[in-house]
Amino acid sequence: MESTTVKKTTKKDYRKLILESFKNHVLEHGEMPKSVFKFAKDMKMKEEDFYTYFTSFEAIKPAILVDIFDETLADIEKQGVFSEYSAREKFLSFLFTWIECLKKNRSYLLSLYENRAKSFVTLPKESAEFKEKFKAFASEIILEGKETEEIANRPVISDRYDEALWIQVGFVFRYWLDDRSPRFEKTDAAIEKSVNLAFDLMGKSALDSFLDFAKFMYQSK
Amino acid sequence: MTDNLNEQQDIPVSKVQRAAKFISTGAKVGGNYVKHYAKKMVNPGMDREELHQNNATDIYSSLSQLKGSALKVAQMMSMDKNLLPRAYQDKFTMAQYSAPPLSYPLVVKTFQKYFSKSPDQVFDTFTRSAVNAASIGQVHKATLDGKTLAVKIQYPGIADSVSSDLRLVRPFALRILNMNEKELDHYMAEVEEKLLEETDYVLEVQRSREISGECSHIPNLKFPTYYDELSAERIITMDWIQGAHMKEWLATNPSQDSRNQIGQALWEFYHHQVHNLKQVHADPHPGNFIIQENDQLGIIDFGCVKVIPEDFYEGYFALIKKDLLVKNSELDQVFFDLEFISDKDKPEEQEYFKSIFKEMISLLGKPFHVDKFDFSDDGFFEKIFELGDRVSNDKLFKKSNQARGSRHGLYVNRTYFGLYNLLNQLQAEVVTTKPEWLE
Repeated sequence: MESTTVKKTTKKDYRKLILESFKNHVLEHGEMPKSVFKFAKDMKMKEEDFYTYFTSFEAIKPAILVDIFDETLADIEKQGVFSEYSAREKFLSFLFTWIECLKKNRSYLLSLYENRAKSFVTLPKESAEFKEKFKAFASEIILEGKETEEIANRPVISDRYDEALWIQVGFVFRYWLDDRSPRFEKTDAAIEKSVNLAFDLMGKSALDSFLDFAKFMYQSK
Repeated sequence: MTDNLNEQQDIPVSKVQRAAKFISTGAKVGGNYVKHYAKKMVNPGMDREELHQNNATDIYSSLSQLKGSALKVAQMMSMDKNLLPRAYQDKFTMAQYSAPPLSYPLVVKTFQKYFSKSPDQVFDTFTRSAVNAASIGQVHKATLDGKTLAVKIQYPGIADSVSSDLRLVRPFALRILNMNEKELDHYMAEVEEKLLEETDYVLEVQRSREISGECSHIPNLKFPTYYDELSAERIITMDWIQGAHMKEWLATNPSQDSRNQIGQALWEFYHHQVHNLKQVHADPHPGNFIIQENDQLGIIDFGCVKVIPEDFYEGYFALIKKDLLVKNSELDQVFFDLEFISDKDKPEEQEYFKSIFKEMISLLGKPFHVDKFDFSDDGFFEKIFELGDRVSNDKLFKKSNQARGSRHGLYVNRTYFGLYNLLNQLQAEVVTTKPEWLE
């Protein structure tokens, strides 16, 4: 029993070590490492051991994004109040915390994503796993929002809300990368305002009453 | 929870949206003018009061949805009663109390940025929603080690939006303040500088402490203690001042003695700042004062402090010397120094403006000309408003294309109008102390 735990921790450490070294390499050289052999050698590990964790460098990048996401969730848990939040507050809190976690990796993220015309949201390969996890997280928030009637249940569209929130994540990421304000204050304001807009749109509004009325008029003709 | 939602729903999202907000108000105001003239054709006797009333409602409903500098400008305009037709005043005073709040996660985030802890970890208790809106942030109530505290948190990005917000307000200010462009720009620079200072909470804590320390000897005043270790660029923590706002307090029908005591404390507070410290709490709107038990006056919010330059001080207060109004040559010099008149004016213009300013000064200086002044005298205020209305509608004033009056005067005037107005609300009779050199 004991030996497995030990083994597990060392295993985890290796994975982490690879991620860290990969980030460092990108930071110091401004590009991804050229060969797995050289990369593994620098870390004093065998090339085949590397493949136990990742099959290629391309596989590391998504793992880093997922790692940041997991870290965010862990941080949110630590804050304690999260479970008391409304759906809107939960999503706000997620984005604020996520940006904090991104901040620790800003240089790495900048060197990989800054010069690309599009953010990672439109790079399906790299963000697929993150997206999947995020959508699971977002669906929960949306479901809860629907229960409390904070979010309106609309046919067809309301099933796509998780997708909409994902696009918002992409927007915030892009905004943050370009943000030059001290302490990224503008990103904070952008999050607050855009989330309010998103939840106002998802909430019950005049539009629903209008559709309801239109439907009624059509049916009662 | 639903309350929270409603709180947050109305913040205009982007600059574009904010601009749109202003434009739609502009259209409405334009519409009101059209209505006004249409009605006037039918009924020539109709006065402009009704028009102002309509405008005020539309402008207010637009301003109240904007947080930050726009709200600040609304406040300022609500204080400058001399500049503002009466109908706008009541509407704008409402802006002093309400503004859309920050979401709680953003409050948590702000705390984490500066203290790496959430408010729950810093304090024993912390209210989830704001208990009060400050003009560029909001106030939460907290407790720590048995003390009740007020924690003021600033909206992020306010400092950056000051300049662009002011540009948005400009066309409105032009229209409703009846000023010409040059005059407005002259003052806008001063307003911008002050607004930027207000976003600097570190400076605010420092000034609060300085001024409250210097004023601690004045009887019947109470200042909160400020906590450096719990304050940062966007957060101020201070003692919670328990008590009633002026309106609430007045509703309890306090005795004349109580009113006088509060009024006197207020007067002495300003007297000491203006004449001895030469820097003054330039935001005397009712929301910044709390009245406590035993008629003690609590003073909060030192966001807006005007430092009075020495040469401006001398000129400005020389004007309230009673006998000065007689000595014309001396008076002319002061008018030149304070930029009321300049060499560019034609002689008849000079004469005209001098006569107006003389009238203004003798009116505003009135409380200084006696030992004791009764601010409950509404007639005195009627005269000020009447003069303000007359001046702002005067053609010669509007046509003159240069700014009148030193920019420093803006906040000093505002302070005195605010003070007079507060004392009037209090219906207080006050011993109007003055510096020795003016006796």
